[in-house]
Amino acid sequence: MNAAVQFAQGVRLRCEGEDAAFLLVPEGVVELSPTARAILELVNGERTVNDIAKALSDLYDAPPGEIADDVTGICDGLRQRGFLQS
Amino acid sequence: MNEPRPLSLLCELTYRCNLQCPYCYNPLKLATYGDELDGPTWRRVIAQASELGVLQVHLSGGEPTLRTQEALGIVKTASQRGMYTNLITQGTFLDDPLLDAFTDAGLDHIQISIQAPQAALADHIAGAAVHEKKLGAIERVLSREVALTLNCVLHRANHDLIADVIGFAERVGVRRLELANVQFYGWALENRAWLMPTREQVRRGESVVRQARERLAGRMEITYVLPDYFADLPKPCMHGWGNKFLTVAPNGTVLPCPAAAAITSLHFENVRERSLSDIWRFSQAFTAYRGTAWMPEPCRSCERREIDFGGCRCQAFLLLGDASRTDPACSKSPDHHVVVAALEKAQPSEFVPRRMTLTNA
Repeated sequence: MNAAVQFAQGVRLRCEGEDAAFLLVPEGVVELSPTARAILELVNGERTVNDIAKALSDLYDAPPGEIADDVTGICDGLRQRGFLQS
Repeated sequence: MNEPRPLSLLCELTYRCNLQCPYCYNPLKLATYGDELDGPTWRRVIAQASELGVLQVHLSGGEPTLRTQEALGIVKTASQRGMYTNLITQGTFLDDPLLDAFTDAGLDHIQISIQAPQAALADHIAGAAVHEKKLGAIERVLSREVALTLNCVLHRANHDLIADVIGFAERVGVRRLELANVQFYGWALENRAWLMPTREQVRRGESVVRQARERLAGRMEITYVLPDYFADLPKPCMHGWGNKFLTVAPNGTVLPCPAAAAITSLHFENVRERSLSDIWRFSQAFTAYRGTAWMPEPCRSCERREIDFGGCRCQAFLLLGDASRTDPACSKSPDHHVVVAALEKAQPSEFVPRRMTLTNA
């Protein structure tokens, strides 16, 4: 939770306008939900999962606890697939 | 229905290769693809793919680095358009100057395949003394700022060595490993009886991979592709026919899947004669099995029809002679016995090496 999150080598975020976002990874293209996109747009190699949750909670004026669960869940899933590192 | 958006394009630059792996999915009639697209045509294909919405370009073959200039041109054009580029190679030509040229062109990722964890078996399967060369290529890639996946195709002759393949990947410092059970198309179908792993091998393999994943969590990502003959459900082939994927064969033929040329009941069009966009949207070959309306029972009423898309059209054609039937790998298929029978076949002592000869032209 306290380590900075970054994209693994060979993984890129691609956003198209407001509607579409994709994670480009070695074996394919992952279509992202709006929530996943909002999280991944904040991944910069410096922010931790907590930083990202706090930033989103400020941005959307949403309860920090709920947002933190989403961020942790999505980041854990992407970490297990080798797309994020921390 | 509205035509979907393709996200990935596979460019097969040539079917020539200096290796003779018996599990190759390339067509048997390799020599009929000798009229290969030139560099300007490939660059036009990339531009058209980008306009269609494609985000990722895979370069493969055959061995794509046998066409160095065309491959570099594809990577450069694709990178300039913000597309992700992936070179799928056996690595025997990847010296420093070539790697520099690819990274300068903007290459994002390289996949290098090995045949086995030791040279003797690897070289026997490849039909050439190449294992040591591949080691050098893997080390050179790891010393650069380009992502690498190590790939090993699994079959009966190397299935018991999965732990050694993982150990090999660990020693050289690979972070991504793909262990892909052989899929039976082209040369692999020709050699199916020799390649088919046993049930016991598959069971043990899954357990070895599970333990290694736990041990290496955070250090190495291991992908394990199950053999579909052993699964109850078919693979969601290409995520649906004409849905996400395009393949352009060495001679410019556009295919919904790299194995699709085997389906002789379809007519596949060529980028030399029609735009990629028109072929994707309107051609008979791409629309034939798009969506779910073409499906027979048991697919038509199956709750998984939009999850696995009826499985693989090529497999239905190759094993049943009719591409519109349910993939026989599915346990619900009335033809599933065809797949089960293939698991029981006796193993011949040798395989047929993949070769470009006039007798198979």
